Amino acid sequence: MEQPLPAHHPGGVGSPRRHRGRGKGLAPYLLSLPAGLWLLVLFVVPLFIMLSITLKTCSPASGACVMTWQWGELPHVVNQYRGQFVTSLVFAFFATLIDLVISFPIAYWIAFYGGRRKNFFLIMLLVPFFVSFIIRTLVWEFILSNNGVVLSFLRGNHLVPSSFHVLGTGLAVVAGLAYNYLPFTALPLYVALERIDRRVLNAANDLYATRRVTFMRVILPLAIPGIFAAFLLTFIPAFGDYVNQEILGGTSNTMIGTVIQNLFLIDSDYAGGASLSAVLLVISLLGIWLYARLLGSRTIEEYL
Amino acid sequence: MEELGMHNEPQSVMDPALWRGMTQKRFTRRQTLGLSGVGLASLILAACGSPSTSKSSAKVVGSSAWWQAQKLNHVVNFANWPYYIDLLAGKHPTLEHFTSTTGIKVNYYEVIQDNASFYQKIRPSLAAGQYSGYDIVVMTNNNPQLGYLMQLGWLIPLDHSMMKNYDKYAGPLIKSPSWDPGNKYTMAWQSGWTAVGYNNQQVKNPGTSIEILFDKKYAGKVGMLSDPFELGSAGLLAIGVEPASSTESDWAKAATKLKQQKSDGIVAAYYDQSYIQHLKNGDIVVSMCYSGDIFQADLNSKYKDLTLLLPDEGAMLWTDNMCIPKYAQNPLDAMTLMDYYYDPQVQSVVEYYNDYICPVPAAKEELLHPTGWNKAALASLNPSIGLPTSVTADSNIVFPTPDRIKASKSYYNFKDQAEIDAWNNLFLPIIQGA
Repeated sequence: MEQPLPAHHPGGVGSPRRHRGRGKGLAPYLLSLPAGLWLLVLFVVPLFIMLSITLKTCSPASGACVMTWQWGELPHVVNQYRGQFVTSLVFAFFATLIDLVISFPIAYWIAFYGGRRKNFFLIMLLVPFFVSFIIRTLVWEFILSNNGVVLSFLRGNHLVPSSFHVLGTGLAVVAGLAYNYLPFTALPLYVALERIDRRVLNAANDLYATRRVTFMRVILPLAIPGIFAAFLLTFIPAFGDYVNQEILGGTSNTMIGTVIQNLFLIDSDYAGGASLSAVLLVISLLGIWLYARLLGSRTIEEYL
Repeated sequence: MEELGMHNEPQSVMDPALWRGMTQKRFTRRQTLGLSGVGLASLILAACGSPSTSKSSAKVVGSSAWWQAQKLNHVVNFANWPYYIDLLAGKHPTLEHFTSTTGIKVNYYEVIQDNASFYQKIRPSLAAGQYSGYDIVVMTNNNPQLGYLMQLGWLIPLDHSMMKNYDKYAGPLIKSPSWDPGNKYTMAWQSGWTAVGYNNQQVKNPGTSIEILFDKKYAGKVGMLSDPFELGSAGLLAIGVEPASSTESDWAKAATKLKQQKSDGIVAAYYDQSYIQHLKNGDIVVSMCYSGDIFQADLNSKYKDLTLLLPDEGAMLWTDNMCIPKYAQNPLDAMTLMDYYYDPQVQSVVEYYNDYICPVPAAKEELLHPTGWNKAALASLNPSIGLPTSVTADSNIVFPTPDRIKASKSYYNFKDQAEIDAWNNLFLPIIQGA
């Protein structure tokens, strides 16, 4: 015999159970149908098309692809462009690290001391990024060119040796990546810090925690999901970026994004390009999976 | 009315705006009558149209019967490389003159930065059997794309009855070339050498060898070209091999030499067309270069520090070719324009600005003693160029002497895609190193 639970009981399952019909069980699936279709049409299908191209042989002349089941293409290109993968990982990692170090204090200050002008400060942070990505990078090229304003001044005053240059170095690429992806780090960090309940901080204060201890043991742990989200949101696009490397980089720091772009748009090696893109995607998904495992899938939707 | 509309739907000849209008309800009686008339007319047109199009497709594209069926549309869309035509105050005098004499309007697009990526842009249209948007494109013989266009039948064979100037004035260097025997598909726009350019203030003893590009004295200040076919050919010349008769093992040796050059830190970067800016800026002091760029810069007093060197090992000679992509909408206008550029008077104006290798030897005389409209055009260009026309006319870079031509080298002629892949596999990793 089943005891009917009071209607106001928070975990009340009695009444739905009694009324559940055949149609009701499908309701959650039907409700998620639009999102599911979206995911299917715009993610799963393109993903499979891309993966199928890795097994095809495409003619650089006509662009036509024939399925040849060439399983060797993926390992071949991954091996051939191993170095570019490593370069991209290292550059993206350092760029993200720089962004975290720079934007944490900014986000912290806006979240805790921004007062009523928080939105204004946030806009101030974002205004430079209203200008096109490519134009901003080209302007850096202009500013940092060998005979440009900055280096001419430094050399003229003997602050740097005459052979000193910035363009074409890995440093220039990392700096460009860090600059261009700064908002992707700053905004999730801000969201994480902003939503920390101030009463928790007061409680820490009441319990005689110093400001340092409060920061280390209360604020930082609560900001961890935001930091991780900021890391992913910056690292993933920076990893596949090719604009910064093309404009600011040189001959020995090609990133994997540049290689993919060349394979697709110049060499017409679609199988190779698709293989490298697939690997890139797997690495990105691994990052998100790691996030879900460590911090729970619920927090992903809050930041990503 | 409704009935007519239903039948009309699959007819693509009908104006979509009209179709939209017909499916809406708010018509006056008069409009409805008028529209149904138009609808009927379009139906009849469509009925007559389809057999006639199938008849014209029976004529092979580019055959003389096909050419005879073409009509002038008084417009032509011309895709070319940047800074490759006479320019005065934002206008192109030779194109203006063409329009004023023939009534054909020219839409001139400077959209080609390199063969490979431009080919990628027009290929989807051609593969789908559609107009690429251009009636004339200019492709270089040193890259595989021109060959692809020919092999796939994506070029319209030229109408030789319309090549009066060409037959009369085209120079031996570009007439019936090895890459297009009998000029079936192409007419040269300009030719040039891939050679060495250097800054004569910073490079005091350049010598006469291509080895200057491999000299450790200029480590970090040497520019190389990012085109794998140019880079590989330069490597072959440097190891003393004729590119045209090279073998795959030669390519490997050339690649080793170029890898060494890179690992020794000699190469500043692998550049596209932008090398010239870096050479002018002083970022690099010596670079692989295209002859016309350096010659132009050399003559300009601001950049007189730049000197062109055609090395003893030889310089690669390339030709940019005008051709008509298939499905071009204005082929007759395109033919008219292409042949127009073989008029020595026209070519004299182009060359005064350009300084590449002139496809029309008779233009030399027109530069020295202009006989027609070009006299005024050359005079108006003079202030911006700042040098007498005789400098261009007497240059053996623009009008090469026979020994200059003899010292020029041809590119390797790839037999199949496997060879192109083998070449790319050797030279591309050098350009995009990790």
